[in-house]
Parts: sequence; C-alpha cells; structure tokens
Amino acid sequence: MKLLSILIILLASKAFAESAALETVWESDKLTVYSATDLNAIAPVLQAFRIQNPNIKLEYHEFNTQELDRAIRAKPLADQPDVVISSAMDLQVRLVNDGYAQPVLGEAVEALPSWANWRNEVIGFTYEPIVFVYNKEAFEEKTVPLTHESLASAMRLEDDFFAHKVGSYDARSSGIGYLVATQDEVTSSISGRLQESLGRARTKVYGQTSVLLDDITSGKLIFGYNLLGSYSFAREKRDSRIGVVIPQDYALVVSRAVFISKQAKHVSNAQRFVNFLISKEGQEVIAKKSELMALTPDIDALVSRQNLQDQTINFHPIPLGPALMVYLDDSKRRRFIKAWESALLSIKPNP
Amino acid sequence: MLGRSAILLLSIFIILSLGVWHYARQSANYSYDRLLNSASLSIMEGLHVYGKQVDLDLPYAAFEMMQLADQDKVFYQVLGTQGELITGYADMPLSDEFNEESPIFFYNAHYLSEEVRVVIRHKRLSEPAVSGWVTVVLAQTLRARHQMMSDILYRSFVVLFGIMVCVMIVLWVAINRALEPLSSISKSLASHSLLSAEPIKATPIQEVSPLVSAINDYQAQLLSNLAVMKRFIADASHQIRTAQSATQAQLDLASQSQNLADLPEHLDKIRKEHERLTRLTNQLLTHAMVVHRGDTAVTEKVDVESVMKQLLTECVRDNVHRLIEFSYQCERKLPLLMGDSISLREAVRNLLDNAVSYGSEQNQIEICLRTDATGIDIMIDDAGPGIPIELRAKALERFQRLDNGLSGSGLGLSIVTSVVEAHGGNFFLEDSPLGGLRARLRLPNEAVS
Repeated sequence: MKLLSILIILLASKAFAESAALETVWESDKLTVYSATDLNAIAPVLQAFRIQNPNIKLEYHEFNTQELDRAIRAKPLADQPDVVISSAMDLQVRLVNDGYAQPVLGEAVEALPSWANWRNEVIGFTYEPIVFVYNKEAFEEKTVPLTHESLASAMRLEDDFFAHKVGSYDARSSGIGYLVATQDEVTSSISGRLQESLGRARTKVYGQTSVLLDDITSGKLIFGYNLLGSYSFAREKRDSRIGVVIPQDYALVVSRAVFISKQAKHVSNAQRFVNFLISKEGQEVIAKKSELMALTPDIDALVSRQNLQDQTINFHPIPLGPALMVYLDDSKRRRFIKAWESALLSIKPNP
Repeated sequence: MLGRSAILLLSIFIILSLGVWHYARQSANYSYDRLLNSASLSIMEGLHVYGKQVDLDLPYAAFEMMQLADQDKVFYQVLGTQGELITGYADMPLSDEFNEESPIFFYNAHYLSEEVRVVIRHKRLSEPAVSGWVTVVLAQTLRARHQMMSDILYRSFVVLFGIMVCVMIVLWVAINRALEPLSSISKSLASHSLLSAEPIKATPIQEVSPLVSAINDYQAQLLSNLAVMKRFIADASHQIRTAQSATQAQLDLASQSQNLADLPEHLDKIRKEHERLTRLTNQLLTHAMVVHRGDTAVTEKVDVESVMKQLLTECVRDNVHRLIEFSYQCERKLPLLMGDSISLREAVRNLLDNAVSYGSEQNQIEICLRTDATGIDIMIDDAGPGIPIELRAKALERFQRLDNGLSGSGLGLSIVTSVVEAHGGNFFLEDSPLGGLRARLRLPNEAVS
C-alpha cells in the first residue's frame, strides 16, 4: 500500500514536472512551420488555428518536398523549425527514422488509423487520393479511362490522340511524384507497362501540381496521370474545363505527414498545432474550407460523382513506416530513376 | 503459520518472477532476432555484381519484414569487398567482437540517440570480377522487443499471481481444517475439569480420535490414582485417630483412677497403644517413601545376596532374646538386579518382622533365594500359623489386619506389594515347606545387567 502511494506520488510529480516544462520553460508566443503545402490550400486551416490561439504567432514557410527535406537536414539543430509538414511521406518517415522528431502527445493521436501514424512521431492528417485529371473538351467524344489498365490500353491504341498531351510529375525533382511512382511499382503489377505507355505518349513531366493543372485546363495537355487529388478536386470545383477520375482498380492515397521537431523551441505550441490538425474542429476545417481533404473524407460523395454505384473504389492508403525508406536508398533510387527515365523520357519510334 | 507460508510463497513468487523475466527477455530477443536475421538475409539477396561494381537493389520485402515490428526504426548499411560503403547509413556502430569466421553476429548498440539491436551478416562473393567479403549491417530499435517482453511479463504475472492467491486460499483452508479438531479439543479441555469423571466427547475426525482416547485414558488413570490416594489418606487418618483416641482413653482412665495399684496396668496399656501408634506412623512413612521411590524410579545395581545377608544379620541380632531359628539359603550366585536396594530392604524387613511377630516363640524363619532365566525369587518362610488360603487376598489389602490380637499397622504387606510392583514383579503368599507361610517376591531380571 505504501509502495503504491509512493508510486502515485512519483507519477504525479513526473506529470507535474512535464506539464510545468511544457507550460513555462518553452512557453512562447511563436510557432514556426516548415511545409511543403501550397499556402492557398492550407491557409484556412492556419486561419482557424490562429482564431483558436490568438496569442500564438504562426510563421509559415513554404518549400517543395525535396527542398524541405534538404533544408531540415542542412539546418543546425538549434535552428530547427517547430513543425514540419510534407506530402512526401517517404522523406518525412526518413527524417523521423533519423531522429528529427519527438512524439506527439494526446488522445487524438491514439485514435488515428495505423497507416496514418508511425511511433506517434509522424502523423498523417489528410486523405488525398491520387487521381487522373482530364480536359473535358478533349474527351467530349471519348470515354475517359477509369482504371490504370484501361489507361495503358487507351494510350497504346490511340497513340496520336495522347502524343505529347499527357502530363505527370517529374519523379526526379518532385518528392510526391517520386513517392507515387514508386508506390505504383510496389502496388501494381502493370506499372511497368503503364510507364512504357506513358513513354510512348511522350509524357511531359512537371515539378509542380499547379502548373500541370494549368496546362490541362488550358488544353495544352489533355490528360494528367497520378495527380494529388486535393489540388485537383479544388481546381475542378473552380474550373469546369477539367474533370477528375479516381482510378477504380486501385487508388493510392497520400496523407500529408506532420511531425514535431525534436529540437522544437515551442513544443507546447507545436503540440497544440498538431493536435488541432487531427482534432474534430481541425478536420472539419480541412474538409470544408481548405483545398485539402480530411482523414475521413466523404468517400460516398467522391464515388457517386463518378456514377459508379455498382463498383467500389479500392483505396490504398500508403502506410507511414520504414518500408517507405526503401526507395530512398541511394542505389535503389538511382536504379529506379534510370528505369523511369528510360521508360518515360527516351524518344521511341512509333511502331 | 499463515504468515510464514506467505513469506515462503512470496519468495517463490520472486524467484519465479525472475525466471519469467529472463524467459520473457529471451523469447522477445529470440523472436525479433529471427526477424532481423531474415531481413538481413533478404537484403543480402539484393546484392548484385554489375561489371566490377557490387550494387544493391534493396528488397522491399526486407523492409516489410522489418515493419512487423511496426513501431521500430530501421537502420542499415551495406559494405563492399574493400569495406567501402555501397549504400545505407554511413556511420553505423560496428562491433569489435565481430570476426570474419561467423557469418552472422548480433549485438546491442547505441545509434542516433536510440538503443538498437544490430545484426551483421557476411557473405563471400566469388565472381570473376569481384571477390571478397561483403557485409550487411541491419539495426532495429527495441520498442517491439520491450512491448513483447512486457506483454509476456504481464500475462505471466497475472497467471502467477492467480496461482499464488489460489495456493494461499487453499493453504489457509487446509490449515484451518487440519487444526480445527485440535482447537476444538483444546476448547473442550479448557472448559473441562480434570477431576470430573466425564471423558472428553469423542470426535468424528479420525486423525485425532487417538489423541482424544489418549487424553481420556490419561484422565481415567489420574482419577483412579487419585481415588486410591484419597482412600489411603482416609484410611490412614482413621487409623491414626483410632490409635490416638485409644491412647487418650487410657490416659483418661489412668488419671481418673483412685487406685494406685491399677496404675501400672494403665501404663502398660498406654505403652502398647503408643507402640502401635509409633509403628503405624513408621509404616506410613515407610510406605510413603517406598511409593515415592517407586514413582521416581530410583534404580541402581543391587547385590540382592548381600542385602539379604545383612538384613538377616540385623534380624538375628534384634531377636537374640527369642528362641527363633534363622536360616539362609541360596542355591547359586545371583546376578545383580537393577532396582532400589532401600525399598527392597524395607520390604523384606517388613516380611521378617511379620514372621517374627505373628509366629510362635519357637519359630523357624528362612530366607531362600532362587534364580532362573526370567528373574529371581526372594522367599521368606516361617513355621508359624500361616494364613488360610481364603484370607490371603484380604491380607494384602491395606489396613486389613487379620484378627489375631496382635498389634500391627496393616500396612506391612501393602508396602511389600508397592515395592515389588515398582520393580515390575509380583508378590505371592504361599504355603511354606516349613509349615507356615511363604512370602515370595518374584522380581523379573529384565533389568539385570
């Protein structure tokens, strides 16, 4: 009994010490966020957080995914930001693996689906299917391919129609592009054939989603392969010239991954921010106001948009975990890029 | 009792806990070492030689395998034949203990502020272009191991604790049930007067019924001894009072007598009464002494022959004024007897006194000693009137005097009986070949050394 009470006292004092450390030592009114997310897309979420926490001065720095990774690794430990957000889940996982993160505390973390949480240190807070985007005008007379399989066949059969008019991410310079290209290879057995078809159509590669979407909208391209669903749906909402298809055979789902720096100077603010992202209010803001998609999206709404009552879409969320680091291996990456380049970028004579 | 058992159980619990802890650690390490082992093997499979270069196509399966410990970080390193880094983390902690002879080696280390379990695996490449040892180093943090270990520990502790509680309960019940009859006996003993004739109630519990009957036997014995004692005291006090009042009566008569000539007669009667009282007192004291010595079992090696000879000598000296013929007969050398010489002497002296006082003036008294395999007989024969067979049993009772008008305490034969019984023997009154009474003391020689 005595032992028990001592234990309780110890625990209590430990908890007290921790909360005291959170509240006083690191308490400050600042919060630095490094993010590979369009400010436009995430702005409503930041705004909602600012309203909830008016005394926290949030600094938001935007990067692209690979720049972000390099920036974090290059920075001395003392200059690390508080929170790091990126849709390049593989790069985020590797940063966490290398010890750049500290655990996120709170009940909401425990409630996350397992694919969206690794070690409580890196957390997925959005649900963004990888989609096909097409120019509606160009496809007026044609059926839009709804699966990877039918896309590969269509590009093979209608070579002239697709030639120079297909766009995708540049796996070499875009973190998200590399992630989805490698996950295609892991997930699907036809990815090789598809890459070959993309190469035959002389697919143009882009570093940024927005430019890619611009070109599809303008008609410079007619089809976009493997685009981030969040930005695409947002664009589709604003501009009726494009259409978005969630592939039916399988749809990879990327989750924007966030972690708190181990050396964060404003830990309690960072904890508050990350907990806000996965809280009910935060998720509501993401779903309704931002261009991002919440963790539990209204999947029925997405599916019914495509008039597919008889078929369900096989959503395939990419799980956060060390397996994502496989394709970050230098040698593996070299090998993959080489294959990707030879498939997509080498000019092949039409048969 | 229960407290001591609890301490014993607690120590067993602690010992078992240590065992369980060891087992949990072992099995957690074993399970996840196998995982590391297979993953490193899988990575090794990804090694290829391109031209003169060793290259690694990191297998996705290896990492999926590692992801079975889904909360753990993974670090890896692949070194070429010259020890150059092919891919992976450049600064992995390598063990000094590792030697080239074993193809695989496990150890714990510290890397990137995490405790990790590391496996090093070697493989010899013998391609024409490249030959030498390549090395795969694979490390994993310990979270899953600790998780598994605490799972096993927790479950084992729950089971162990359950067993301990059950054992405690069983023990408690068993001890209570086992001791219940004893406590009921002690309760009834507490409320029970030893002097009441009522025995303790028989118990239905088989194991303790011998105890109950032993207690009852003991009580019965005690009560009968007490009864004998009470009767003896009653008898003795009656005898003493009788003798005192007789003396008193004679004194009164003498003091009231007017005739001086009667005085010598009164005096003679008073002397006789006084003699009787003295003799009675002596006999009582002797009896008490004999009984006491018998109870306390004072034993020594007794040379019966010399005791008897000495006694006879004394007796002859005391009765030198009488016409009594004393004789002594001993067939062969008697062995030494374990016994109490003082008690024996008292007994035989009583018998000799009896023979002298109850026999005629011209008596013949003989001490006859005999021995055989089982014991010795001490016989005192006389040529006196003897005791008729039908009165012999009565003669052995205490304070029973055969009405022959002679002064006697009625204790003499009782003393003899007590002494003989204390020596484990028997006392008989028989016909003597001399015509009178033979008093025979049969003493077994089991105590003879």
